[in-house]
Parts: sequence; C-alpha cells; structure tokens
Amino acid sequence: MSDDRTIEADVGVVGAGPGGMAAATKLAAAGLRVVVLDEGQRAGGQIYRQLPNGTNGHGLMAEPPSHDQGHELIKSFEKQTERNVELIHGATVWDAQPGRLWFEHEGASRLLRCRHMVLAPGAYDRCIPFPGWTLPGVMTAGALQVMIRGFGVVPGKRALVVGSGPLLLPTVTSLLGAGVEVVAALEASSRWQALRALPAVALHAARRREAFWYLKQLSRARVKLQWGWTVFACEGDGRVQRAIIGKVDRSGRPRRGTERTIECDVVGAGFGLVPSIEIGLRLGVASQFAATRGGHYLVVDAEQRTAVATVFAVGEICGIGGAEVASAEGELAAASILREEGGAAIDPAVVARARSERRAADSMLRAFAPLPGLHELARPDTIVCRCEDITKLAAGQAAALHGESMRAIKVGCRAGMGPCQARICGPSLQAMATDNTACTMDLPVVQVPLKPVSSETILTAPE
Amino acid sequence: MSETADIVVIGGGIIGSSVAYYLAKLLGISTRIVICDRGPIAGATSASCMGHLMVTPDNAQEYALTKTSVDLWRGLHEDLGGFDYNPTGALYLAETDEDQEMIPVLHKQFADNGDQADVLDQKQVREIEPGLADDIPGALFYSGDGVVLPMLAAGAMLRGAQARNPNVIVRANCAVKGIERDGDGISAVVTEHSVIATKTVVNACGIWTPDIGDMLGQSRIPIYPRAGNLAITGHHVSPIRTQLLEISYLRFAHATSGVDPTKTDADSGGHAVNMQPQTNGGCLIGSTRQFRGRNKEVNRDLLRRSLQRAQRYVPGIAQAPIVRTWVGLRPYSIDNHPLIGPWDPVPGFWIAAGHEGLGISMAPVTGLLIAQQIAGMTPSVNVAPYLPARFVS
Amino acid sequence: MSGRIAGLGERELVEFTFDGEQVSAWAGDSIAMALWAVGQQALRNSSSVGEPRGVLCNMGICYECLVVVDGATVRSCTTMVRSGMKVQRGGKL
Repeated sequence: MSDDRTIEADVGVVGAGPGGMAAATKLAAAGLRVVVLDEGQRAGGQIYRQLPNGTNGHGLMAEPPSHDQGHELIKSFEKQTERNVELIHGATVWDAQPGRLWFEHEGASRLLRCRHMVLAPGAYDRCIPFPGWTLPGVMTAGALQVMIRGFGVVPGKRALVVGSGPLLLPTVTSLLGAGVEVVAALEASSRWQALRALPAVALHAARRREAFWYLKQLSRARVKLQWGWTVFACEGDGRVQRAIIGKVDRSGRPRRGTERTIECDVVGAGFGLVPSIEIGLRLGVASQFAATRGGHYLVVDAEQRTAVATVFAVGEICGIGGAEVASAEGELAAASILREEGGAAIDPAVVARARSERRAADSMLRAFAPLPGLHELARPDTIVCRCEDITKLAAGQAAALHGESMRAIKVGCRAGMGPCQARICGPSLQAMATDNTACTMDLPVVQVPLKPVSSETILTAPE
Repeated sequence: MSETADIVVIGGGIIGSSVAYYLAKLLGISTRIVICDRGPIAGATSASCMGHLMVTPDNAQEYALTKTSVDLWRGLHEDLGGFDYNPTGALYLAETDEDQEMIPVLHKQFADNGDQADVLDQKQVREIEPGLADDIPGALFYSGDGVVLPMLAAGAMLRGAQARNPNVIVRANCAVKGIERDGDGISAVVTEHSVIATKTVVNACGIWTPDIGDMLGQSRIPIYPRAGNLAITGHHVSPIRTQLLEISYLRFAHATSGVDPTKTDADSGGHAVNMQPQTNGGCLIGSTRQFRGRNKEVNRDLLRRSLQRAQRYVPGIAQAPIVRTWVGLRPYSIDNHPLIGPWDPVPGFWIAAGHEGLGISMAPVTGLLIAQQIAGMTPSVNVAPYLPARFVS
Repeated sequence: MSGRIAGLGERELVEFTFDGEQVSAWAGDSIAMALWAVGQQALRNSSSVGEPRGVLCNMGICYECLVVVDGATVRSCTTMVRSGMKVQRGGKL
C-alpha cells in the first residue's frame, strides 16, 4: 500500500552530512534508489553547512582545506539527487523500526519504507552548565557555525570562544570571517594535554594541513588560544554583556581567584560533541561508552553493519571522529549494502581507509577527553536542565533521595523530561546532581517520539 | 551488615511514601522506619501514571475513601507542597445519548453523598472550558478533583516524613531478597545491602506486591499489571485548564474487567480519554487499559485511539507537540478494590497495594489507614471492604 | 543590530511579524536567524521561572528557541520564514 505520504526506497539514509552523503552517492551511482532524510534545509550536515539556496557566498569567507573535500562530496551528492537520490529536507524522524522510518515533514506525517537503512544523524554539542549560560547570546560553538556559515548572519561585535577540542579553531575562524572581533579564545585543556594530539595530527597529512591553516588564520588575526582557561560565568541584563573567565587545573576544575572580566556580546561554547544515538537505540542497536568518543555510541562491525539486520551506522553515531571518518565509513556502508544486494566484494582499500581514518581520529581525540572538573563551574543556583528550569541544587536533592541513576534524578525533579529529551542536560546531569564530577551518564532510555512531533503526526502515521 | 527497624516499608512509590509519611506522623520519633525500593524512589508506576485526584461517588464506601484522600492531598499541598498540585476540578464529558443519560446518574451519586456537582449544557461547557469542541452536548463539572505530579509528591512525602522523624531511612536501589520468619511472624527483611531485623513489614510494591508475598509462602496476592499508554505535550501548549474525562470513563475504568488478567494476550484493550493540564502548561493524555503482563512497549493502536478521542474533544491538541509516549503498569486487584490492612496469616505483615487507576487519588488515605491500624488507632474510614483478608484462602 | 555578513549579495525580502512588530527577513532564513539579524535574541520565556532564552544549539536539538507560529509551537531555528507569518515569543506568558 502506498500513498503520497508513504515512500519506498532501496535504502533510507538518516542525515545528509558527510557520512550520509557519501553512502547515498555511492549507492545511487550503483543504481539503487536512495531517500535521504535530513532536518536541515540543504545537504552538507553541520560540518559542511551551506548557505540558503540562491545565496552567493562563494569565496566570501576563508575556508580550511578540508572543505574542498566537502564541496566535492556535496557536488557529487547533488548530482545524484537529479537521478537516484531523493533528499527530503526539513524532515524530523520520530520513530524507527528496521525497514521503516517515520518522519514529520512540512506538517505531514510520512513513512519511508526501505530494505536497508544507513544511520548518519551526526552529533550535537556537549553543553557544560555554568552560571549565566542560559542568557541569550550564550550558545554552542555549533550554533555559531550555523549562524555564520548556514545563514550568513553576524553573531555580534565581540565574541568569546570557550571550550575544549579541535572545534574551537573553526569557530574562531568563522567568527573572524564574519568580521567579528574574537576577544578571547579559551581552551580548557592545558597545552601539555593538547600536545598528546600532536603525533596523530603530524602523521595525518590532511589533518596536518588543516592545523597549519587554522594556526595561520589565528596568527594573522592576532588571536591567541589561551590554554587552561575557560568561562566561569556570563552576566548581562536580558542578554550576555560580559563574561567572567578564569584558569582551570588539568582536570578542568576552576581555580577560584584567577577571574577576569571581559566585555562581549556573544559567547560560543564548544566542549566537544555527543553522538546522536537515539535512533539507533530505538532500533535496538547495541552501544558502548567511551569518553573520548563523546559518550555512548553505536557498535558496528568491520563493515559498518549493526547487529540489527538491515541497519548500518556511520560517522559520529559510531563515536565522534569528524567528517573524514564519516565519509569513509559512509562509503564503506554503501559497499557493504551493495555486496548484500549481490554486487561485488568490498574493495579492501575502502575498508582500510575507514579504519585508518577512525584510528587517526581516535588517537587525536584521546587528547581532548571531556574534563570532569568543568562540572564544578555550576553553582547551586545554576540551572542545569533548561527545559524544566531545574537547578543544580534541586537535581542534587533529587539524587540524594531518589537515587543517583539518570532515571532516578529525572523522576526526582523532572530534569531531562522536557522537549530536548535530556540531550542538553543529560551528559552532565549525573555529575552535577551527585557532585561526583567524573560520574558519566547512564545509557539514555529512548521513548517515542525521538523528537517532539505533533499529536496529529502520531495519530495519522502511515503503517 | 545488620540493623534493626521497627517497621520496614517495601516499595518507595506513592503508596509506600504515603505509608512512611503517616507512620512518621502518628508514631513517635524513636520509631525507626526503613523504606526500601529495588529501583529509584517513585521510579516505576508512580513515575509513569497520570496524576488524577479523583473523588468517585458510585458507592458510599469508595466515596468516603476517595473524598477523604483528596481532602488529605489538599492538606499535603499546604503542609509540604512541591508537587505541582493543580485544583483543576473535573469535567465529565458526554458525547452520545448513552453518555448523556449518565450525567444525572452521576449528579445524583454526588448528591447522595452530600456532595455537589454541576450539570452543564452545551453552552455552559464551553464557558467553563473554551478549549473544548463546540459540539459537546453536555457535561458534569465536579470542582473537588485535581491533578498532582506523583513522583514529586512521593518525594515530598518522604522528605516530610524525614523532617518529622530523623529515624526515617530511605533506600533507593535496595532490593528485598527475602523475609525471615519467627514462628508465624516476621523476624527480618533481607535486602541486597543488609539484614534488617524487624517484626513489622508493609508491602507496598504495586504490581510487584505478589512477588514479596511469595517470599512468605502464602497464596498469591491477586494483583496484576494493567497497562496504560500515555502521551505528554510540551509546555505552555495545553488548550485546556480543566481536567477532562469522557463520562464513559467511569464505566470503563472502575468496573471489574471481564478479561482474565493472568492471560497476557487475550485482552484487546480499551480506552476512554482523560486529559490533565499540568501547572507548566503541558497536557497529559490518557488513558487506555490492557492486560498484557509486564510488557512496557507502547501499543501504537491504543495510543492512537486515545489521541483521536483527545482531538475529538479538544481540537487544539492536534498541533500540540508530543514530547513523550510511554506505558505505565497499574496494579489491578482481582476485585478492583485496593488491599489496605494486615495479611492475617502472618502477624506483622501488612499490604497497601492494588489501587489500579486510583493509586494517586487514594495514596494519602491508604497511608493514613495503614499507619492508624499499625498504631492501634481507630481508622478514619471504614477499612472492612479493603482488608486483604478477603483473599486469604 | 547584528545584521548580515557583508558581500552576500541580495536576497528576496520576506516580511513577517514578531509579537506584532514588523520584521524584514531574507528568503531562506530560519525564524531564529531572521530575528537575530534584527537584534531580537530573546525568543521565549523559560518554563517555570520565565527568564528570557534564545538560540542555544541552532540545529533543532535544544528546544530553547521555541516560538508560536500561527498558533503552533515550533523551533524557530528549524522553521523557515514565510511571508505574512505571525510569530510570537514562546513559553510562559
């Protein structure tokens, strides 16, 4: 049975970032019909965000060398969208079973039926609560990238960039490209810790080129990365107007007494990424935990196959690794599917590339494991769950009475029960509530809808 | 580790928390009370149910029980607070002629108990609740009902108990492994963390109540899980301020089931809409009933049917974002009445369970009645119909 | 005013209202970004304390930017502007 709300494809792909595009392009080139569902407005994902259709942004802002690969990927993907690939943008996937993906699209409730599925939903920013982080103008590093590269909007006049890990650099260069003064760029890790990433970068030609490019940009703009510093608090009347910054020790614990005040009208915080695994868990895919991969991530075999038949996963959902990992794994997943469809054996070079990109990313990201001491930035009255306005104190009281599991804290104070479904507070909630900074989050219990959709969408969902 | 307690309450849900609260209130502060739950406090049915405070008028006994309890809730809100008490009242909506005929019946039931409810026509219904569809032929409004957030209420009662009596100990993630006997009576509760010497145990484990009973080698306590599918919207989108129930809900929810609850695949399930506005402007949508064991996967078909009914009565809910859907398991007792009192064959063993869909409504009175009986006081409400003795074979 | 990155060229203008005030956006803008470009950063009032909130993730994850569009609560970062749409600040009134 099929109406215009139900569509069929050989392969359904969730996410039009590098992993999803690479998989879809290869599958389509081999003649399979592919439908790609993406919540954004254009292909590219978060990393290769494109400006809205019809905007001439070419050459406007300097781009790192890796984006050449992104442009190539988008070009070949978009070529396939004229043939075997249908990209449905603005699609919110809210439920999944093997072979079926339910999504809301322009107010309609739709179903994609597919014989195989490639999960490439990417990741989202890890948030660390600190006093004042709820003020308008304080946002994630990813949000700034979307604003600048996705919409061509200027974030403000004076920006503070804080966080930890390789994503700080592109955040700074995007701000510079948008003509924003970067008043400080604070990397919470110490220089010594970050040096551990050096061998991995030095041995990887593309990453090496990339690093040099960023350093050149920063030095040209006279922006110096300050190691071992972070934001302690943001202040302002209805929006951020200033930040209190200070030094942290090697575990990220704030060193009180080192504070300085800095005027700014926008703050980008990038404390790493969290794999967007909810859809995988809903499908019954097994997961593992590794702090350096961003937390819980899906388990796949050497050919990107999950243990759930017909379900493949690539890129950040299998652990944070970056665009190069995602595109290599996307291509590998496509090769696996093509072989299952009776095609040729998988080219060993494709397997080797995916594995070597993953290894390189793992060894680089080892240097940027989340710093547990940053969980001490929040004060008792700091809101930790923004959806429900729950403070650290209230979350702590819930944990003390109801128990220290994620479930217990949720039922004890309602933290994590709002519309973000604990994506924002979850990664740090247990550490906050138990005052055990090293406490990591339990595996989330995923409920339907995977993201909020209208009652009408659930009611009228095609089967 | 070994320790002693005067009373061990097994089960930290809304019922166990209420038992603990009233024990702390009625007994002296030298009474050591330990509450253990195998999981989080209020983490099972109390975290996955609706929060209806409902006065049921169909017979004098149950009216006394629910009315007393809902009045106690108001007092708890004043004394403890912190659980989003929302005195919404309840609109019993009629749709069909058959429904319409139920309005005067229900009205008379309230009147027979000396209480009052208002019969509303099509126009008056909309005046009370503008969020309703404009073709609801009539309704009954009862102002005494309300809504609470049960898991926060359980927490508030346990904190209230601890504030009154520092010897109230709450243990989450502390499963009971066995109960040791001393002749006919009880000598200790064995948990995964300690052995607690005690002569008095209150079994308030909801759908798991029979499992604790089995530890004593008694006939199985006849409580069975009855699943309900629920959905909740985001904040500040609820088109309604009053709690809504289809009047047919009464027939559906508070009658004994014709289905054998031990069969987990024989019940196709039923539904009657209950919509509860939350203090944060969200709306909780239920309710369905189905026996299918402890399966917690959402029944999409039943959920949809209740969303459909919700939209029929409140068209504006169609566009409201649904944040979460889930299943809660109600503790259904075989005769549809709760068990509140001693289990006679084992002196010192008490049961407070089996409230099905009225567990939140009846939690305070259940705690009070158990505490009064344990303290040797006269119960405020006639407990005879609720004594577990009716199931002793 | 934050405005647009210089040199982007011209895009079609789209008019809508935010809490009754006229806003000029560019075709292809999300509601959140159109409002940011004209200096409107507070998009909703938080659920219980009612403090102003704005864009946090800008990619449809956090639900901090909820607004009401023609009666429906939506994420302003993933909802594109349409000519004539009536947008109201979300959350607690």
